Amino acid sequence: MLQINDVHAGYGSLKILRGINMQVPAGEIVTLLGGNGTGKSTLLKAVSGLLPLMEGEVLFDGVDISKMKPHRRMRLGLVQVTQAKEAYPAMTVEENLVLGAYTRRDRAGTLADLEWVYEFFPVLRERRKQLSGTLSGGEVQMLVIGRGLMAKPKMLMLDEPSAALAPKVVLEIFANINRIAKTGVTVLVVEQNVRMALILAQYGYIIRDGVIMIEGEAKKLISDPAVKDSFLGGSVANTSRALRN
Amino acid sequence: MQIANKFFAGVVAAGIGFTAAAAFADDIRVGITMRMVSENGQAYGQMMMDEIKGINEAGGIHGKMIKATLMNDECKSDKGVANANKMVFQEKVHLLIGSSCSSVTLPIVDVTAKAGVPQLVPHSTNSKITQKGSEWIFRVPVSGRYYGGVNAKYVGENIGTKIAYICAADAASVGDCANMEKQMKARFGVEPAYRADVQEKEVDFRSHMQKIKSMNVDGILVAALAETMARALVQSYEAGIGEEVRRIGSSSASNAPVPKIAGDAAKGVFFTAAYAAADQRPIAKLFNEMVKSRYGIHAPDHDFSQAYDLVRIMEIALKNTKFTGSLADDRTAIRDAIANVNGYQGLASGPISFCAAATPQCRDGNRTAVLIGYTKGGENFETEVLARVTMEEDFGLE
Amino acid sequence: MGFDYNSLLAFIIFGVTIGVVYGIVALGISLIYSGLDIVHFAHGEMYMFGAFFGLVLAHNVGIPYPIALIGAMIMTAILGMVVERVFYRRLTRAGGGYTVAGMGMIICGFGMSVALVNVAYFIWGAEAEPFRANLDYIPRLTFPGDIKVPESYVLTAIISVALMAALHYFLRHTKTGLAVRAVAHNKDIAYLMGINVPLMISLIFGLACGLAAAAGVLIGPMQSVQVEMGYLMLMKAFAAAVVGGFGSLPGAIIGGIMVGVFENLGAAYISPSHKDIYAFLLLILVLMFKPSGLLGVEAKVKA
Repeated sequence: MLQINDVHAGYGSLKILRGINMQVPAGEIVTLLGGNGTGKSTLLKAVSGLLPLMEGEVLFDGVDISKMKPHRRMRLGLVQVTQAKEAYPAMTVEENLVLGAYTRRDRAGTLADLEWVYEFFPVLRERRKQLSGTLSGGEVQMLVIGRGLMAKPKMLMLDEPSAALAPKVVLEIFANINRIAKTGVTVLVVEQNVRMALILAQYGYIIRDGVIMIEGEAKKLISDPAVKDSFLGGSVANTSRALRN
Repeated sequence: MQIANKFFAGVVAAGIGFTAAAAFADDIRVGITMRMVSENGQAYGQMMMDEIKGINEAGGIHGKMIKATLMNDECKSDKGVANANKMVFQEKVHLLIGSSCSSVTLPIVDVTAKAGVPQLVPHSTNSKITQKGSEWIFRVPVSGRYYGGVNAKYVGENIGTKIAYICAADAASVGDCANMEKQMKARFGVEPAYRADVQEKEVDFRSHMQKIKSMNVDGILVAALAETMARALVQSYEAGIGEEVRRIGSSSASNAPVPKIAGDAAKGVFFTAAYAAADQRPIAKLFNEMVKSRYGIHAPDHDFSQAYDLVRIMEIALKNTKFTGSLADDRTAIRDAIANVNGYQGLASGPISFCAAATPQCRDGNRTAVLIGYTKGGENFETEVLARVTMEEDFGLE
Repeated sequence: MGFDYNSLLAFIIFGVTIGVVYGIVALGISLIYSGLDIVHFAHGEMYMFGAFFGLVLAHNVGIPYPIALIGAMIMTAILGMVVERVFYRRLTRAGGGYTVAGMGMIICGFGMSVALVNVAYFIWGAEAEPFRANLDYIPRLTFPGDIKVPESYVLTAIISVALMAALHYFLRHTKTGLAVRAVAHNKDIAYLMGINVPLMISLIFGLACGLAAAAGVLIGPMQSVQVEMGYLMLMKAFAAAVVGGFGSLPGAIIGGIMVGVFENLGAAYISPSHKDIYAFLLLILVLMFKPSGLLGVEAKVKA
């Protein structure tokens, strides 16, 4: 579905990404892992079009979108869910969700999807007239994911959905991402929470200093001593069981 | 709206007619700086140049050609002084003509006094211009001190003494207001019923008009430059002050933009000026026709008549000058020749005379003001002459 | 002589009628600021061009005043969009990069102001033009105390309020309005929502300039139309926008009315000679006690 070939990108003379190659097959959950300042967010911006590429190409559904404006990429079905803090705090929950469906022309479908998102995240229905600035961290995260769903995406890219959330809330969010993937949406999760992300995903990439250091099937990465040494700890099995239920 | 005219701003060097080919060293150099931002301004600037061209084509001054330079000061004193300096010191003119706005003329008086260049004032009315003691200054228009007297006399005797004053901050209007106030006090012993000092380009007079309305005054003096005055007039009617309250204009009221912009609100406004387009003398009728056919101006105001009179006075003086070839001597000789002009009868409502002393009595050449009323506003405005008054030569002086 | 409450009331009424006009110009300045992060110094000239467009449409073309008003708004909106697209946007990164333009943008705004004034000089000359609107069918309102408010002021107030209401409805209750607000808050996220950000920036600019034009056409019959009219209006509207809280749309309107009333009262009871100072006196007073303006947020949240 998404193919990233030898992408270089950065800001001005500062090059952050130095030849990234990645693939996200249709219907799968893929995760991109890395610490702060490793180039995760830069890669997301390059893929969504907020940052122009210096070199390389990005293909979506076989179409070269490297030169496309961000709103055009979004209209193809490649939707980025922003970080939770980037909801529009001065707009109500419902306005935020409607904004997610900005590109859609089918009113009936949009309304149906609004209902669907409310069923997915019942708390959002309760808070629909509230300004999104007044929501809790977990609720805002649900809101931005819901907003992404309103666009009827083929592929959803999530930017650190676990950031600054309590472990219990993170679990809930990840369970929901799993549910979304089951409806046929391809998912790319960018994360620092390596353990959770690898349990959720089928395939994983680990980025450091703007290059992919390690890649492989998620199951193998969890048990890969190189990854384990640097990122993992604690009991994988317990979390795994909780997620699958 | 005449786009072609806009190219004309800036310097129009006029080596006119056959003098263009040969700018002889013994040309008589004349510098002119005036406010030429409006259609009228450009027209009377052009008229002066055309009249000078006419003198040259008729043989010049004893065979000498007049080489005139026309500059635009936009009624801005810094530009006016820069123009004057350029013409006095670089172009070494024999005679300087300027300017239209009093606030521009006042500082130029110092330039010509210092350099020793005779200066003829075409339009400015501020009394102080001739009170600086310069030997080089000559005023063709009627001084503000006479206007104040004529206005006050007419107002007090025919309208009433309870007058509201609206005074804008430009030099001419400040002077007009002060003169009127002084004369009303001297003649009738009254102070202004209301007095508002507003900015030169004030746009909103509504609170003043509201106050004035509640006072039941006999008349309102609106002392301001043309566009500002027009706005005030319009807003006075908007505030509901009826036409039984007479509107008195300052010296700028004669400018065509006043009736054009004010429209119906100009009707009934009266003011003093040096020339009335409604003047029935043959010379005035001929002049009106000439200005209309040549420059497309409907009913020339006294800015036109004064510009025209000034060229005629200059012609007389230059013809009486004995040129020696020394710039300083020639300038002095021209000054003395202007001072000898006596009883010139032109378009102005009275004779114009100068004399040698550097006093306002000698240098305010025109002492006859005419009271003019607008009988119709708009593009094709109409005026009538209400009265003609000649004042004593030391009237209004301390 | 006792205190005259009727004239106090009159000053307040007149202050409000001029204040709402400051308000709609300030609204445009605030809209551009909150939308594009630029302080638009050439906005006074948009007001001036609007007034001239209205004048040309009403007098030279001869169409009725209300339609001339709408025509002038559209023409000025287009002018504003062209200016933004051709000049301002080049100073920034392609699309939504206004945040980084900084000082260059301010200088460019001033330059544009001077350039537009000169273009207007060239077209219309320096003379003030009378703008006569036939408004006989508008009632003359009589307030308590026999204060008569002329038709043109009534019309001005009604249209200004209607425009504000229309803008409010557009921003709050339409999908495009929602997109405008999204762009105003954060262009990157707006892009991710699939919003055509460059188009919305043009729309914001067009709206703001259209509002300025409306103010010009409304003020025209009162003050006549002149090339240099923009500067003073910019100063007043600027004061209004800051008093109300820069970037706050309701603040712009409240600020405008406050500036209008304050300067009328100052002119009436302190000194009429320095009328234009009062707007800034009010500005300083408000900033001393509430640095972000009356309805302003402490700092704009930026991504």
